[in-house]
Amino acid sequence: MIAPDAGGGVAAALAEASAAEQTVAVVGGGTHGRQGGPAPTPDLELSTAGLRAVVEYTAADLTITVGAGLPATELADLLAGPGQCWPQADVRPGASVGGILSAASSGRARLRFGPVRDSLLRAVVATGDGRLVTGGGATVKGVAGYDLPRLLVGAHGTLGVIVEATLKLWPLPPARAWFATGGGLDDLLQRGKRLRRRAVRPGAVIVTPGGLHVELVGAPEDVAPPDGLEPADEPPAIAAPGLVAAGVSPARLPRLVTRIETMGLPYEAQLGVGVCRVGVASAAAVAAVRDAATALGGHAVVADGPDALREDPWGAPPAGAAIMRRLREGLDPVGILNPGRAPA
Amino acid sequence: MLLRPPSAADRFRALLDDEWVIDAPLERLLYGRDGSIAEGEAGLVVLPETRQEVSACVRLAAELGMAVVPRGSGTGLAGGAVPLEGALVLALSRMTRIVEIDEDVPCAWVEPGVLNLDLSEAVRHLGLHYAPDPSSQAACSIGGNVSTNAGGPHCLKYGVTSEHVLGLEVVLAAGEVLALGGPAPDAPGYDLRGLVVGSEGTVGVVTEICVRLTPNPPAVYTALCDFASVRAAGEFVSAVIAEGVVPAAMEMMDEVMIAAVEQFVGAGLPLDAAAVVLVEADGSPADVARQAAVVQRVGRAHGARMIRVAADEEERALLWKARKSAFGAVARVAPNYYLHDCVVPRTRLVEVLEEIGRIAERHDLVIMNVFHAGDGNLHPLIAFDRRNADQVARVAAAGRDIIEACVAVGGVLSGEHGIGLEKRDYMPLTFNEDDLRAQACARDALDPAGRFNPHKVLPGAARCGEAVLEAGHLPEGTWL
Repeated sequence: MIAPDAGGGVAAALAEASAAEQTVAVVGGGTHGRQGGPAPTPDLELSTAGLRAVVEYTAADLTITVGAGLPATELADLLAGPGQCWPQADVRPGASVGGILSAASSGRARLRFGPVRDSLLRAVVATGDGRLVTGGGATVKGVAGYDLPRLLVGAHGTLGVIVEATLKLWPLPPARAWFATGGGLDDLLQRGKRLRRRAVRPGAVIVTPGGLHVELVGAPEDVAPPDGLEPADEPPAIAAPGLVAAGVSPARLPRLVTRIETMGLPYEAQLGVGVCRVGVASAAAVAAVRDAATALGGHAVVADGPDALREDPWGAPPAGAAIMRRLREGLDPVGILNPGRAPA
Repeated sequence: MLLRPPSAADRFRALLDDEWVIDAPLERLLYGRDGSIAEGEAGLVVLPETRQEVSACVRLAAELGMAVVPRGSGTGLAGGAVPLEGALVLALSRMTRIVEIDEDVPCAWVEPGVLNLDLSEAVRHLGLHYAPDPSSQAACSIGGNVSTNAGGPHCLKYGVTSEHVLGLEVVLAAGEVLALGGPAPDAPGYDLRGLVVGSEGTVGVVTEICVRLTPNPPAVYTALCDFASVRAAGEFVSAVIAEGVVPAAMEMMDEVMIAAVEQFVGAGLPLDAAAVVLVEADGSPADVARQAAVVQRVGRAHGARMIRVAADEEERALLWKARKSAFGAVARVAPNYYLHDCVVPRTRLVEVLEEIGRIAERHDLVIMNVFHAGDGNLHPLIAFDRRNADQVARVAAAGRDIIEACVAVGGVLSGEHGIGLEKRDYMPLTFNEDDLRAQACARDALDPAGRFNPHKVLPGAARCGEAVLEAGHLPEGTWL
């Protein structure tokens, strides 16, 4: 395991590995490691844990540039000082900024704040052949050239290793709180639909087996219990050996949830977003969730789980798979990065 | 010089009705330009109406060895739609169907020629709108917006085009139709949708787009704040953001621009102000009240002489009309104008504005400013007369100085207009050879043979496989 303390060191290590045709597994905080296909043992492990510098933070610009290995919880603490946040990210203990971006790991407040993909303004990436490449720009807005940062989000480190990221920040909302209620599925979906279509969007409207959970965000006056809901804790994460993330049009999500409810699996459906996360314990359950999602024009990927659940992590090849392979050949010509992880 | 086979027009007439193949020299001339000051030459112009026709035209162009330049409404300001070397212009202005509106997402599938404002009008009865709102929204097309990743005043809060494009369909070089994304989020695979947005017509022809629609806010506050100095106005903008408020829009206009606009629109703008800032906050009534209080307090602290709050929708529309008519108003000041589009960190706004003032003096030019202050997105506008060769040379020199001043404080070359031809050769100011080569890899993965909109965005012959970038030359007289 090597852990360079600068982007140049990462690039140099990758250049060497490419020359020697050694495969490299890239590790951030280790929270998103169980994604993609089962990985063959790599020749080298490369950690981004040494890249935790705060490169530039002028709070009044509402942007920050940090090393990719910075833990997201540390970032959140730093931002809270001047009353700011990175609201699109799924900030779990241990997760690094680079890992969250590479896994496109969006948080629950996505209904209000959008996906984490939209928060990356600029990235410095070490390509497979060891070049240090900057894409995007460190301002809140910019269209200078091709949008490489967006390509890196969700690429699982297979186009290059993100070593530095400039993020678009938001003011911390003056107030936010969770509310919940229980009931039958049809009733919860109906009430959830009304809530998620409020003109002032909630942070999240989530249906779980037997429960409706709503996070309201904004002025204190706006964070009051909606009709029939009581103040509550944030719903806990799904506890299961594996996790499938299904995506369908938000208009079709209620139909997907209805199907999944009959399977008896634990789930968390993000109304208005179109994501349903489902706890699974077998490859058969992965396939069943995927069948239900694809029948509704969507898809399902394994977001976490042991090798046995990740034999087919992505489902049918995506549209443009040949283009995706050409992209990878351009940026990682020897093909050393994260073997088995590529989504196409 | 036209690099096209003599029989080309006849070949395309076998695919489209005669009237949709434009070969007459005078008519072709119209398609040699866009909203920028660049001039090119269209070898032939075709106006397909369906994806099948687009695909057939692209295939035929490949067979004839003609480059393809997709074109929306032609309002682009960076020369992205200007054809070079007699390329085929593929104009999408007949593809204007709103294919489907799904209120339940909410989103809409639209063809690329649908005008930005027409879409918002079409969903108004549902209490929805399309959030990106370039000043040219009555004329520019959604396809063009996708191509440049267009912005607009309200992108301060709502984000630029890319955040509102859920999916798209693109015709690639061999004529194949590729569908990317849609309302189902997080499709597996790389985000090719995100790569196509902002690619300025260099990777394919977008033939359908799924855009996110946004609920109209329940409450809106619009105010015009009037300052005695540009510095005070700029500091006001930074201070509002620093207070933890991101309004829906914060637009600034300087003295010269105020005068031009007021003559044109008659919105009651203060003619003795050095700068005005148009602030709009939206959201719930409570949230809007909170933001309005910050605007009032910070405004007074920074010496706002007057804060004119729009009393009703009519007054709000008038204030926005003043802002969005700015570029039309300039036509009364000078025959030509060159509009720039740099972004700087918000906290560097004031110093860069002051530097632009010095640049105007140094080159003896009139430079007016009307811009998205909240984003740090500057739009210095240089008024000039194309017939005056000496002035044209000074305009070009001042343009370079402005770009360098923005880059020097950590800014980027373009906020929302794109690179096109205009800034192509400035790309090395912010990107090194490896950066540009990686961008070429991204482009070439979609269009390996370089059939679409050649010579745009990346300097010279930048290609994925090559180590050396050469600065290719634009044909004489293309830009200033």
